[in-house]
Amino acid sequence: MKFNRHIPRIIALVALCILIYPSILFLSGIYMLRTVQWIMLLATLVWFISASFWMGRSR
Amino acid sequence: MDVKKRQTHIKVAEYERQPVPGNARLGFKHFIGMYAGEHAAGTELMIGPLFVAAGVGASDLIFGLLAGNALAVMSWMFLTAPIGTRLRFTLYYQLEKICGKHLVTIYNLANGIMFCFLAGAMITVSATALGVWFDFKMPGLNDMYPNSLGWVLAVLFMGLMIALVAAYGYRTVARIANIAAPWMVLVFLAFGIVGLRQFIDVYPDPIENAGDVWHLAQTHIWKGGDPLPGQVKFTFWHVMFFAWFCNMAMHIGMADLSVFRYARKSWYAIASAAGMYIGHFMAWISASILYAYQLNLDASNTDVLPGPMAFKALGITGLLCVIVAGWTTANPTIYRAGLAFQAITPKSSRFKVTLVTGLIATMAGMFPAVAMKLLDFVALYGMLLMPMGAIIFVDFWLFKKIGLQSFFASRHHLLFNWAAGLTWFTALAACLLLVMFAGIQIFFVSLPGWFIAVLVYIVLSYFYQSRILKNKSV
Repeated sequence: MKFNRHIPRIIALVALCILIYPSILFLSGIYMLRTVQWIMLLATLVWFISASFWMGRSR
Repeated sequence: MDVKKRQTHIKVAEYERQPVPGNARLGFKHFIGMYAGEHAAGTELMIGPLFVAAGVGASDLIFGLLAGNALAVMSWMFLTAPIGTRLRFTLYYQLEKICGKHLVTIYNLANGIMFCFLAGAMITVSATALGVWFDFKMPGLNDMYPNSLGWVLAVLFMGLMIALVAAYGYRTVARIANIAAPWMVLVFLAFGIVGLRQFIDVYPDPIENAGDVWHLAQTHIWKGGDPLPGQVKFTFWHVMFFAWFCNMAMHIGMADLSVFRYARKSWYAIASAAGMYIGHFMAWISASILYAYQLNLDASNTDVLPGPMAFKALGITGLLCVIVAGWTTANPTIYRAGLAFQAITPKSSRFKVTLVTGLIATMAGMFPAVAMKLLDFVALYGMLLMPMGAIIFVDFWLFKKIGLQSFFASRHHLLFNWAAGLTWFTALAACLLLVMFAGIQIFFVSLPGWFIAVLVYIVLSYFYQSRILKNKSV
């Protein structure tokens, strides 16, 4: 049960990491801007969905 | 009142007319989150580009922001929080005790109007995102009035949505704002990183170390030199004072007494550094890089439009950031303005007041002058409310030591403390005169203005208090 409660948090934190990671790779010249934009959009969706399960909810 | 209802009542009590009790005080982490979220706002996307438009140089910007933000944090730490954690009153209750109800009503009116304009600028920022989708003509850097029907409709749509949500579901948006805050901070950071890479791509020399990046910043991003037409030239001092005073209403103006009354310790005010160095350092720098890149590609394209700039950098995520940043910060601003107005007409419903306030903010948002002259407006906002902070400072720290009475209005049941009222108006008049006739720019005038307010309040209070006390004894 405890593990299940933590899953959305873990997914949300991973989404945040993925959100910033492609821009760093773009800075290094590894990614194209188009790729960065798509990955960031995906990470944004995952963040908002997963964070809504635990952030700002009254206990 | 049954036990359950009473518990609910206690739970939602906001201690508006009593000191915050020990069990309601909050830890340090709460203040970190609050400040970091509150100062990563839609307006940051305007302020950064406006620095570039003002012809700022790289070292002036970086060191000016470092110094100005440090001064802002110190103002919260040494001016606001010590009083907030000693008395634990809201700003409004404390002002009422010092100034009387009627003067606080005028203060509320001024505060509410300024909040409306600020929310208007945030709606403007959000509406620029709609321009990317619907491709209507958007205002330019020096436009004062709406310049297309599409723009008016976009602001109207965005403003109505924000006003309705502020009136109906403030709590829902507050929750979305909480969720969006960490995401938004990282998107702001990504703006800067992507913008920097785009500059590197057009830079003629190879970038191999930090020195090369600094050279790129000095020669391509923040080049210094003349400002764009219609803009004031920004130096180190402009940047420093702007960063220090852009939240003047909150720290020196003491509005955040209402926040720090919940802090267990006075030093928690250092948490404001999270807001300053994320929102007013990183976010401003990132936004300014995007605008500098736009100018680098086409020097004639001077429009400060966060929507198109964000879209070019990060696509739909950038656009979402512009909308969310504008919306989540306009929402509480409209709500606060509504509360300020409702304090003037307590019998009117909060829903109606918030809705009307939102409509006023929407009207303000249609006029791009507010957003395009945001640097001046923010300086004016701080200046307008600053004298009340000086009055609270003197009342708390100096009055007892010089034989005057604190909380004079509440002690003597006054509705309008003339010493405080005249101090406010005199300090503002003095600032205005300094700007008009002494050549001091609005970005700097609040500093002498604060000392003027302190001196005038002490002198006027000597006469006013002795007259009232003499009349009472007779």
